[in-house]
Amino acid sequence: MTGDARALLAPERVAGGAAKVARLVAELRRVILGKEQTIDEVVAALLARGHVLLEGLPGLGKTELVKALSRLLSLDFRRIQFTPDLLPTDITGSHILQEREGRKEFVFHPGPVFTNLLLADEINRASPKTQAALLEAMQERRVTTFGETRSLPDPFFVLATQNPIELEGTYPLPEAQLDRFMFKVDIAGVERSVLEEILVTRVHGEPPALEPVLAASELNELFGLVDAIHLPRGVAAYIARLVAASHPACADAPEAVRTFVKYGSSPRAAISIGAASRGLALLRGKPNVGFDEVRRVAPPAMAHRLVLDYAARLEGWDGRRVVAALLDAIPEIERGLPQTLEAR
Amino acid sequence: MKAMPASVRPALRRLARRLAIGLFLDVWPAWAVASFLLAGLVALVCRMFFAGAASSLHWLWLAPVVTAVPALVVCFIRAYRPAEVVALADWLNGGQGLLLTLLETGDPAWADSPILERASTFALPRLRPWRKLAALLPALAFLAAAWLLPQRMPPQGSNAVLADDIAAGLTATVAELKQQELITPADEKRLQEEIERIRRGAQERVDASSWEAADALREKVAAGLSEKQDAVKWARESLDRYAAAAQAGSNIGPGSEASAAELTKALEKLAQSGLLAGAPADLQRLLKSGKLPADAKSLGELTASLSKYLGETNGRIGDLARLGKEFGRFDPSEFPLESGQSPPGEDPGRGGIDRGRADAALTWGKESLPFDRFKSEALPPGAPRSPDDWAPLVVLPGAPRESPELSAPSAARQYAATAGEAAWRRTLAPRHQSAVKKYFQK
Repeated sequence: MTGDARALLAPERVAGGAAKVARLVAELRRVILGKEQTIDEVVAALLARGHVLLEGLPGLGKTELVKALSRLLSLDFRRIQFTPDLLPTDITGSHILQEREGRKEFVFHPGPVFTNLLLADEINRASPKTQAALLEAMQERRVTTFGETRSLPDPFFVLATQNPIELEGTYPLPEAQLDRFMFKVDIAGVERSVLEEILVTRVHGEPPALEPVLAASELNELFGLVDAIHLPRGVAAYIARLVAASHPACADAPEAVRTFVKYGSSPRAAISIGAASRGLALLRGKPNVGFDEVRRVAPPAMAHRLVLDYAARLEGWDGRRVVAALLDAIPEIERGLPQTLEAR
Repeated sequence: MKAMPASVRPALRRLARRLAIGLFLDVWPAWAVASFLLAGLVALVCRMFFAGAASSLHWLWLAPVVTAVPALVVCFIRAYRPAEVVALADWLNGGQGLLLTLLETGDPAWADSPILERASTFALPRLRPWRKLAALLPALAFLAAAWLLPQRMPPQGSNAVLADDIAAGLTATVAELKQQELITPADEKRLQEEIERIRRGAQERVDASSWEAADALREKVAAGLSEKQDAVKWARESLDRYAAAAQAGSNIGPGSEASAAELTKALEKLAQSGLLAGAPADLQRLLKSGKLPADAKSLGELTASLSKYLGETNGRIGDLARLGKEFGRFDPSEFPLESGQSPPGEDPGRGGIDRGRADAALTWGKESLPFDRFKSEALPPGAPRSPDDWAPLVVLPGAPRESPELSAPSAARQYAATAGEAAWRRTLAPRHQSAVKKYFQK
């Protein structure tokens, strides 16, 4: 889709799509107060058909956000509360011996993964074996059990949550699992004014009742619009340079990457940035991706894909800080202004 | 750029022009600095070693202008492509990416959209030329300093001037001799070679010997003139004697033959000196025949013609006699000794007295001419002198005094007067008296 001399989306189509997304965002903002940035990121990932890992302290609205999203989109929604004794078949489903028409046979009972929107709550509490049950589903959107492969419904999203402080009895997600998530969104605490607003408008903290704003067909139309958003070659080159520079061996890698990063982001990070940038561009009512969208989506798309060195923990560096240094070091355009010119 | 909407093109053209200026200001100063330094170096070298190039040094100021040509070529090669200009415009506008998209797709649907209108109203980058041009100042100062340096005249240059000066004086002398027909072509050639040798020697090193050589050549010329003058004088005297002898005898006799032989020799001498080259025709014929006329009339005519010619020649030589007296303008103060340095020859190993070139002709001036060098002259008859002629004029206070004992009368002294002792005692110096006494006492 880059560099093709094809027609852009018509302004009316972009405006129509942006209006629908704006309705969705407005409703989400009505439910989750003071989390505009988080909502934008989740919606952008949703429009790009990506999975999102929400990380934050308990009570910050992670689960509520996913539930609100499911209600607004009229999608089939399932929730799995991950526990240490959860088995893979509890997710994917299993074959059960049943009697049919006078004879016994194994009948497949689909698990909760067969849904449109799957909330994997506290995903890091399950064992790696159970976590791995989601790998195929997240990447290839299908499930294989007993040698039989079944496609998952379209669309299929996984929105997982995890608690960063209760580490006892948890299993950190392996890198392969993390790489499947388009975004890892950090849910920050709320401000005092937001708390006041919650207290005033919510009785028992219950969110307002929601009505679906997007039908399945409209959501598919939005997906089509997102795919038609133009990604210029210059912007694509910026994404490529950004991801390449996240590797310590790269010549353009900044000092922070060389010092604290053990392994850089995978190509899937570049794909995720491009796709999420398209989603964000539609959210902003633009027919194309710009440098600004890339800079906006790069931190949640890259931070969890970096494998940091042990020195990073000692120095207090995390993935977000490294990506911020990366964004500062890598110029958006490959060839900048002459030295005798200065941008105003 | 043609794919871009018309509303954006002017802004993009302005940006492209600004980028081209910025690129040129990025590239050219480095070339200009290099050219200034190179030109300064050239100016410095010319000021030190090549005096002849001093008049062309001002062209070096055009060096930075000349370097603009390769700088423009480099700028042309590195020029911003349309995609890069549009990317920069997008970046300057906040990174919306719409301009890049329109460049790639050429879709006119968004040409009138408010988003594009906002995208085309970016601020042009500010020009900061002094970031690069500041480097020109030191290089410019270097060239200016090199250009303003006084021209250093190489030592060999001043030698050449002095050598030419010396040679010019000598050449003028030779020219004057030639004009007065007082020099033969062979002598002229020899003198010119000598002058050239002196000039070449002076070009290598100018010192007292250069002036001495020039003066020696002048003295040589003067000696030659003196010789010619003597030859003329001899010829006139010989002619006078011959004429007197001819008139006295009215016939050619033995006396006149001797005078004729002398005159013939004198004329041959004149011919050898080249003084007869401009002589009248009858004299030329006489020289060819080698015989003097016998009759009185012809002799009278010859005498008158030769006398007139010799008079004129003598006058010309007399006029040029000053050449031998005008020596070179050698001034020892022009060759001062270095401070604390002894004169040459006083320090061991520093050379001795400079006596000029080894091949210089030994000319002492006013030498006897070959024809009268060994002329015999009768001395007055001599006469033996008596010791009695010797008489003391005065007795100096430091003279030895006679002791009283010796003054006392003795047998020997009684006959001293007769033995001649008193004479030698009076006339001989005391240190010789013992030797004389021993001789006579044998």
